[in-house]
Amino acid sequence: MAALSGQHRLSGQRRLERRWGLLMAVPAILGFAIFTAGPMVASLGLSLTDWQVGGAPSFVGTGNYTALADDELFWKSLSATTYYTLGAVPVSLIVAFVVAMLLNQRVRGLPVWRTIFYLPTLVPAIANVVLWIWIFNPDFGLLNSLLRQGGLPTGMWIYDENLAVPSLIVMSTWAFGNTMVIFLAGLQGVPQHLYEAVSVDGGGPWQRFRHVTVPMMTPTIFYNLVVGVIGTFQVFNQAYVMTEGGPNNATLFYVYYLFRKAFRESEMGYASALAWVLFMIIMIVTFLMFRNARRWVYYEMAGGR
Amino acid sequence: MRSRGRILLYLALVAGAVPTLLPFVWLVRSALMQDAQMFIAPPQWIPDPFQWSNFTDALTAQPFGRYFLNTVVIAVISVLGTVLTCSIAAFSFSRLRWRGRNVVFAVLLSSVMLPYAVTLIPTFVMWQELGLLNTIAPLTVPSWFAGAGGGVLNVFLLRQFFLTIPFELDEAAYIDGASPWRVFWMVVMPLSKPAIVVVTIFTFIGTWNDFLGPLLYLNDEEKYTLSIGLASFQSIYITQWGYLMAASAAVIAPIIALFFFLQRYFIEGVTLTGIKN
Amino acid sequence: MRRRELLALAGLVPLAAACGNDDDGAAENIQLQFMYWGSTFEQKAVEKMLKAFEQSNAGTKVKPLFTPDEYDVKLNTLVASGNVPDVGYVPMAMSYRLAEQGKLVNLFSYLDKYPQLASYLPDAYLWYGKDQLHGVATANEIELLWYSKAAVAEAGISAPPAQASSAWTWDQLVENAYKLTVDQSGKHPDESGFNAGQVRQFGISSSITYAAAWYGFLRSNGADFADPTGTKCLLDTPEAIEVFQNLQDLIYKHRVAPGPGQLAATGDDVPGTNILLKTKRVAMIVDGHWSLLDMNESKVDYGIGVLPKYDEPFTTSQVAGASAVFAGSKHVEEAIELFAFHIDPRYVDLYEQGLWMPQERKYYEDQAAIDSWTKNDSHPSEFRTAVVDYARDHGVPDLRGRLKNLSAINSDVLTPALQEIETGKRPAAAVLKEVAPKVTSRMQGWHHTQEL
Repeated sequence: MAALSGQHRLSGQRRLERRWGLLMAVPAILGFAIFTAGPMVASLGLSLTDWQVGGAPSFVGTGNYTALADDELFWKSLSATTYYTLGAVPVSLIVAFVVAMLLNQRVRGLPVWRTIFYLPTLVPAIANVVLWIWIFNPDFGLLNSLLRQGGLPTGMWIYDENLAVPSLIVMSTWAFGNTMVIFLAGLQGVPQHLYEAVSVDGGGPWQRFRHVTVPMMTPTIFYNLVVGVIGTFQVFNQAYVMTEGGPNNATLFYVYYLFRKAFRESEMGYASALAWVLFMIIMIVTFLMFRNARRWVYYEMAGGR
Repeated sequence: MRSRGRILLYLALVAGAVPTLLPFVWLVRSALMQDAQMFIAPPQWIPDPFQWSNFTDALTAQPFGRYFLNTVVIAVISVLGTVLTCSIAAFSFSRLRWRGRNVVFAVLLSSVMLPYAVTLIPTFVMWQELGLLNTIAPLTVPSWFAGAGGGVLNVFLLRQFFLTIPFELDEAAYIDGASPWRVFWMVVMPLSKPAIVVVTIFTFIGTWNDFLGPLLYLNDEEKYTLSIGLASFQSIYITQWGYLMAASAAVIAPIIALFFFLQRYFIEGVTLTGIKN
Repeated sequence: MRRRELLALAGLVPLAAACGNDDDGAAENIQLQFMYWGSTFEQKAVEKMLKAFEQSNAGTKVKPLFTPDEYDVKLNTLVASGNVPDVGYVPMAMSYRLAEQGKLVNLFSYLDKYPQLASYLPDAYLWYGKDQLHGVATANEIELLWYSKAAVAEAGISAPPAQASSAWTWDQLVENAYKLTVDQSGKHPDESGFNAGQVRQFGISSSITYAAAWYGFLRSNGADFADPTGTKCLLDTPEAIEVFQNLQDLIYKHRVAPGPGQLAATGDDVPGTNILLKTKRVAMIVDGHWSLLDMNESKVDYGIGVLPKYDEPFTTSQVAGASAVFAGSKHVEEAIELFAFHIDPRYVDLYEQGLWMPQERKYYEDQAAIDSWTKNDSHPSEFRTAVVDYARDHGVPDLRGRLKNLSAINSDVLTPALQEIETGKRPAAAVLKEVAPKVTSRMQGWHHTQEL
């Protein structure tokens, strides 16, 4: 009898959750339908045409997609972007995690420290770019000035084909504030009693880090990884404003190339095809990350929900 | 032993802070310099003379007071909408069980994977059909639909955070007869301050520094925002370095203050999580 | 009224309130929209010009659409949604296409009715077919050799000539650049112990990647970018190779020019010609006439010379975007009047202040007209010969307004190749021989040109 009523209560709970679940997802679903799905479908349609802004589109089937395969710059941009992503994501994740760990200690003047490390994220893009052009300037730039004073070899940075992408990775790492803030929020969510439990068992800082912090932080790390990869694949601004894809296409990032096609040459059809190819690539990479996540991401009651 | 650890900690913080701050210090010192002094090699750090007029000249070159108000209105509306609707959605996607939930979530998430460059024109045409060009609607309304588009990441972020809150709390509340809304509002939200603050900061900064959106959708100069004002210091022929730097410094000052104020909620988050266990 | 609805919606927030007064008496008013880019400085000048237009055309209101950046994005969006302004600037990369798509008014049939439109320099006109005229370059701009007077005096050399007839040869330029290049210990590049890593003052800076900076040299050496049909790239001819090899040699062989990243010839680069000359980081710089405004603003002790020559002296002219009247304007005649007005030195300050040069022919030929924009504090004494006469007699129009598909050619193949020359990786001949066929395969001919 008791078991039966228990079951009854549970299914009532299920119904409740389903009803409320759908209801509470409505704004997000509506937003997607109105503001995303429409434009997405439109761009998919456009990718099958030769539409130039201002002209009339005509259907070319998969013509844009087959043209991509022969487009040297498409391949170039894909490799430049992959190179950048492979560098920028891990570096900024590690830097942000380390700083977040430091800031999660009992430090005097914590608000000030947090604000300092977050400052770079606040600098408006236009000022940021000017700032870094100045830092990288081979002649009077800050970087080479410091290296010279230290008697170290100087470089041409963003003006050197081989150093351009690493330079931009450094630049993007500087603004690690957003990643750091998410790590900080995650670190605050790690229950104190787990740390205490390790300490009671005689574990030191390393054991606490290894057996509590890291596993409890895996959802946050995973979030930053996914968001980092998705965002970095769409890196655009630096190539657009700082290097214009140069030198010699070293920083011809994918979305910059797409943007150029779309708005310089108004080749919206071709640009849409480029976008959908990138979309598929990011989808596959994200899917792989999610599939792989089961092996290392720890959730409260994982599997239960 | 313990004090040596402390010293190391502070050393590490300083070591990290110097490179972080250096470019920023450069921004401020440039804001106070005459153009010619900015570019002397090796770099000089102290303005000579202090060009305070950069600030007054830059901030009067454009109606920055009006731009400030315009930007605040857009940012506040966007932050409210994003925090509220994204939290609601994240709650549904993390703590309520319904069939198709994960598929729907994955579909929503896919919207951040399509470069905005190609959705821009269709979106613009849609706002035109709605007769809402040259209003702030295109810049604010999407945020009230769980931050449609890129804002879906906020749903993801909140969902990740909600997933780390023990489910026993929900179950206890349900046994007491609470509705899911009540669980969301009274149990999950109060425990999620750090994540909410993060979303607030991100959304605020995102709108504050957004350039392309206001530029595309607004046509009247009276409606322009701070970032458009900033861009006018750098044109094809002329860049007014001193003005650009001074105006940039002035534009970020309010968000530095905002961040400084909000980040204390991270600490509050700790105490709460401490209590719950 | 659609506009009222718009305002009502916008009126939900206080910040939109101010635009309500546009509607006052809308029934009899003619409303035009003028789209443009520019610095705050240009913004003020343009707004003043628009006010003057409203005053001299009672009943006409002009709404400025100021777009400081991302101009092509905004314009593309406006075109796609059918919201184009009445008159405005159009980036060269877009203007011909928009004209061919019928988005710009063909001004040819209005030339008789508005004689002012027929009075511009021949090179100013932008034709997209026979008797099809879609606009003019907004201002006439040419490339010059700017120099620091102090640096020239210190080196004890004669200043770069201000008259085309006595222009330096390339060898003279190099020779003087040696004397103007000094390292931290005061040594010149031709002295032993010269430290190329510690140069205090470079002799010359001349962009390799910015076409307007080298096109005059190319023409002066008897070369050109393309053959007369505009379908074959001629950058692999010995004359063209010589020009680019010489530019590369300035940096790596003679060591009198800064490497990539330190050039000032394009506006985006830090820190700008005015600052480089003022701080004497570089003694001579090839840059556009428009630098004059900056020079005066930052009080540089500058001089203006003509570019060095190979054979006949040439400089690139018409280095500006297009201005045009958009099709679909409800008030085409008024729009055309505004078009003529916005590049008329009588109403726009930018000529006197040095940013723009006029397009009307009389401002280069008639003494009183020349004086009207050049006899003032912003224009130095050598301006007459080094700029006015030089532009009139030795200007060759910028490729961007002449060669079809140049925007794509530039970004897809040419700029990366020129960057290879600039970084000194390979000699000019190797790079140009490789890239010329690629350019050729993308060429679609010259744009149409004709006499009025």
